[in-house]
Amino acid sequence: MRKEDTVKLISAEGFEFVVDKEAAMVSQTIHNMLTSPGSFAERQHGEVTFPEISTTILEKICQYFYWHLQFASGKETEFPIEPELTLELMMAANYLHT
Amino acid sequence: MSNQKKRNFQIEAFKHRVVMDPKYADKTWKILEHAIHEIYNHNASGLSFEELYRNAYNMVLHKFGEKLYSGLVSTMTGHLKDIAQSVEAAQGGSFLEELNRKWNDHNKALQMIRDILMYMDRTYIPSTQKTPVHELGLNLWKENVIYSSQIRTRLLNTLLELLHSERTGEVIDRGILRNITKMLMDLGPSVYGQEFENHFLQVSAEFYRVESQKFIECCDCGDYLKKAERRLNEETERVSHYLDSRTEKKITNVVEKEMIENHMLRLIHMENSGLVHMLCDDKYEDLSRMYNLFRRVTDGLSKIREVMTSHMRESGKQLVTDPERLKDPVEYVQRLLDEKDKYDKIINLAFNNDKSFQNALNSSFEYFINLNPRSPEFISLFVDDKLRKGLKGVSEDDVEVTLDKVMMLFRYLQEKDVFEKYYKQHLAKRLLSGKTVSDDAERSLIVKLKTECGYQFTSKLEGMFTDMKTSQDTMQGFSACHPELNDGPTLTVQVLTTGSWPTQSSVTCNLPAEMSTLCEKFRSFYLGTRTGRRLSWQTNMGTADLKATFGKGQKHELNVSTYQMCVLMLFNNADRLSYKEIEQATEIPASDLKRCLQSLALVKGRNVLRKEPMSKDIGEDDAFFVNEKFSSKLYKVKIGTVVAQKESEPEKQETRQRVEEDRKPQIEAAIVRIMKSRKQLDHNNLIAEVTKQLQSRFLANPTEVKKRIESLIERDFLERDDSDRRLYRYLA
Repeated sequence: MRKEDTVKLISAEGFEFVVDKEAAMVSQTIHNMLTSPGSFAERQHGEVTFPEISTTILEKICQYFYWHLQFASGKETEFPIEPELTLELMMAANYLHT
Repeated sequence: MSNQKKRNFQIEAFKHRVVMDPKYADKTWKILEHAIHEIYNHNASGLSFEELYRNAYNMVLHKFGEKLYSGLVSTMTGHLKDIAQSVEAAQGGSFLEELNRKWNDHNKALQMIRDILMYMDRTYIPSTQKTPVHELGLNLWKENVIYSSQIRTRLLNTLLELLHSERTGEVIDRGILRNITKMLMDLGPSVYGQEFENHFLQVSAEFYRVESQKFIECCDCGDYLKKAERRLNEETERVSHYLDSRTEKKITNVVEKEMIENHMLRLIHMENSGLVHMLCDDKYEDLSRMYNLFRRVTDGLSKIREVMTSHMRESGKQLVTDPERLKDPVEYVQRLLDEKDKYDKIINLAFNNDKSFQNALNSSFEYFINLNPRSPEFISLFVDDKLRKGLKGVSEDDVEVTLDKVMMLFRYLQEKDVFEKYYKQHLAKRLLSGKTVSDDAERSLIVKLKTECGYQFTSKLEGMFTDMKTSQDTMQGFSACHPELNDGPTLTVQVLTTGSWPTQSSVTCNLPAEMSTLCEKFRSFYLGTRTGRRLSWQTNMGTADLKATFGKGQKHELNVSTYQMCVLMLFNNADRLSYKEIEQATEIPASDLKRCLQSLALVKGRNVLRKEPMSKDIGEDDAFFVNEKFSSKLYKVKIGTVVAQKESEPEKQETRQRVEEDRKPQIEAAIVRIMKSRKQLDHNNLIAEVTKQLQSRFLANPTEVKKRIESLIERDFLERDDSDRRLYRYLA
């Protein structure tokens, strides 16, 4: 996979998730981040740091990105969410506009 | 569960910590403000989107949306004011470029700012009903840059100047114009309209008013239309290149109004080049241009149509009333057909086959063809001419085409029954003299007449064909029955049904003895096989072939009419006969006899008889001899009767009278039909209905209809209502 096609998402704790751009752009926020005219630092480096999102949540989010793509292409499965993650996940979703 | 609660608590605590920092909002805004400055300065690469977004997010989340929003407005306004200044400072031609460049910058910056402030756009703005960031940016641009007093008029003037110079043939930078007009459109259609389009249309109208005035003074109609067309195309092209597509309609309207509508009448009536001139000279291209241009404006086409109609009527009227033309019916009809072809072609090529024009053409022809009461006769004569000789060696398709054209003229006739009358006469002559060229063509025309006017119209004509056919069979039977007749003269009889054929008062003449015995034999043969029939001889319609030997032994076969045959046979037994003697012997009616003697004695090259004294006319005291010196290059000599192809005045009157006479029962039938279904009807409606019913055959004359009604009342078919004298009642 070419580097331009991926983006590195970094959690508050410093964990790095390398995901496809296509998947990451499920988030409208990340989408704008990577497509906004002019070049913000994120676009230049292909890295986004989220100092307010914990590793567990970010991992779940990355899973969601891929699940969403599959769902959109017609594969209707359920996306499991552990109850204890629910609230934080919702806040992150609001932030990322997913 | 407890775990989750803990998390919950943690987050709230986190929030609180932020809110509690009193300087938090100011600090965060400073960061964002700085970022906006950087963005406008093309210095965004060092910024972290995530950080800015997070800050804006948090500000909104912590109820500092208002501060964020107003901060954005004032920062952006500041920047735009700077921009306006730099645009104002731009010199001459670089003005538009500078404006365009700044606009692009602003757009880009706006996009970035919107992205950063996306969360505000999403939550804060809808809930407080403020203007979204993007629109806000455009509005601010409009207020601070476009409406800046220095820029506003300068922008408009620059644009209009550029357009004007392009109209006068200079090359301009269309790209920049496209960008600027697009900018105005982006700011909203109303801005585009107010700041540019309205003025543009005004200036254009002025420009074209002046230009069209100039052109119309010095150009002829064709050239003017070419210029107008070019201008229209130019404007359309201009719009497609750098104006908003909605302007196209408006600007073409302006051009149409200034260049066409205002000069429409003058163009149409322009001397030596206007519409009439184009029509006369078949200028398809110019006409087509005129059609396409005038179609764009209200009433344009109807003006063309009016003028064309009146021109067609005028020229048609001249054609049908020109006494020169009346001399040759075939030429007359040919001219009509040519005229029709000409306009058909014009409508087809130039007027897009416009239905309304075709209707105008039809109504014009109907109008002027019926101006000449002899049109039906002439059309029939034309067909006669074509079927007699004109169609020889012409392919079947061409025959069809010619016949179709004739039918077209026929359709215009109001007095179709008059045509029928003449057609019957001419057809009878053709059939009896065996002159018809093509049976197929004859039949095809009958079929056409039938589809046009119905079975009734042609039943008699078809009857004539049937008679010819049965006569052939009868003659075969006759000669088979009398084989001994092969030596003597041969007789061919055509048995015609009375009623189907044009009625001729049956005046018999004395046939030569040889012939009358033959006729008797035929009579007994015919009546022997059929009962209840009566045969009467129509000697005025027959023909005969005679073998004659003249003084120097020259032999000829003479093709003559029955009357002529009777006269010539007399000379078998005599050398000299006076007019009186001939008249006595043959009992041919005087007028026919004179005509027949005329053709026998006075036509050069056909004068088998000699007359004394030698004069141009046949007198009662003349004497006749066989012309022994007669000679001809041909063995077969055809001696035609001197017949007026065209009807003479008294004949015409007679036919006319017969037609009138024939109409009476038809009118009466129509009245009875209508009254039978309606039971009662007032006078005017009845007349209207009758006219409508008979339209396909002739135009009923109201006074005649009235007479027929009276007659029907007398005969107790109808009665007048007692209370309302205008109301008729049907009596069963």
